[in-house]
Amino acid sequence: MTQVGRIVKSVAGVAVALAAGVCIAADHPDLTGVWTNAGGPGIGGATRAAPPERAPLTPLAQKRLEAYNKLVGGTDDSPGRWCTGTGMPGSMLGSGGYPMEIIQRPEQITVVYEAHNEIRRIYFGDRNAPQADRVPGRDGYSSGHWEGDTLVVETDNLVDQVDQRNTSHSDQATIVERYKLDGKDAQGRRILTVEMTMTDPTFYTKPLVMKKSWAQVPNGRLLPYECPEEMWLDRIAERAKQAGVPVP
Amino acid sequence: MNKFIRYSAAALLGLGLAFTAAAHHSAVQFDFAKQVQYTGTVKEFAAINPHMRMTLDWKDAQGKEHEVRFEGHSTNNMYRAGYRKGMVKAGDIITVNAAPYRDGTEGGYVIAVSKPDGTFFGMKGRAQATGEAVRKQAEGK
Repeated sequence: MTQVGRIVKSVAGVAVALAAGVCIAADHPDLTGVWTNAGGPGIGGATRAAPPERAPLTPLAQKRLEAYNKLVGGTDDSPGRWCTGTGMPGSMLGSGGYPMEIIQRPEQITVVYEAHNEIRRIYFGDRNAPQADRVPGRDGYSSGHWEGDTLVVETDNLVDQVDQRNTSHSDQATIVERYKLDGKDAQGRRILTVEMTMTDPTFYTKPLVMKKSWAQVPNGRLLPYECPEEMWLDRIAERAKQAGVPVP
Repeated sequence: MNKFIRYSAAALLGLGLAFTAAAHHSAVQFDFAKQVQYTGTVKEFAAINPHMRMTLDWKDAQGKEHEVRFEGHSTNNMYRAGYRKGMVKAGDIITVNAAPYRDGTEGGYVIAVSKPDGTFFGMKGRAQATGEAVRKQAEGK
């Protein structure tokens, strides 16, 4: 084969591969859009996260939750009150009262939660970071793959989270989510469902299984959510008071 | 101004739903099964997250002046409930419906705000019935 022939063959091969890739990508459901709780009249509907099947707590978890509740019970203190992102699995289970936006590309799905401007990234294939490079966080590190029309997301590298929610967990927790589009509601809105399983032998003696569904908001938009501003304003007011001057 | 106003059981149920929808932050110090109402002059108002805050100059039935503090929904939920920038500012006379503090402290968690010119914002969505009840009350119906 001549040099030109080889080049033509290579280019053709790449084109075929790209076309195949596009087809594969196009075969997957596109979840891009703004989503709110299914069953509500629109953005702001009541939260419809199914209460998690409460697995028995380990003695350690029970002790830690009792200590937490003793410390903050009856007050308004919570992670959210202090502008801390919800973290998985609460970020996904709680989204809807404040909507979430899903932005889907073949190599990455980005979930933007309106509350606290929290962002979660789900990586596919070669886009994934090596395990050693994954930074632990409240939403952990999420890797996705497709099983037919089902999006499967595996999350690790979570940090310890003990709070008022029924989904407190240790840093040993891992989560598997399975997402599917499930037709349309009476208003013609697409429905997205998830079944989520959290495994954390440090906190629970059996996995927690949770379900939730969302409806897509036509032409939906997220609102900005600036949260630490309140604390900043308080800080400036405090400094002004200490200095004996008016707030600038 | 009559401070305590009670609504129908349906409206109270709606309130509970409204709070469920809106609050992902703890607000256990407020009693969402009750409502209080204050009419006064806005001293300070800030639409901020996670909770709005407001101070009202309010006179009780004996004419004694009180500085009453409130907090309420996030800016986001206020916008979804009809609030718009500049709607409430210092010096405005407003009527506030709020869930009272459990410990009896004056003020509470803002459910709805109305002004004499008909300006109004309050929880919507699943709590539409509540919003309507508050609106009708604010309009004297």
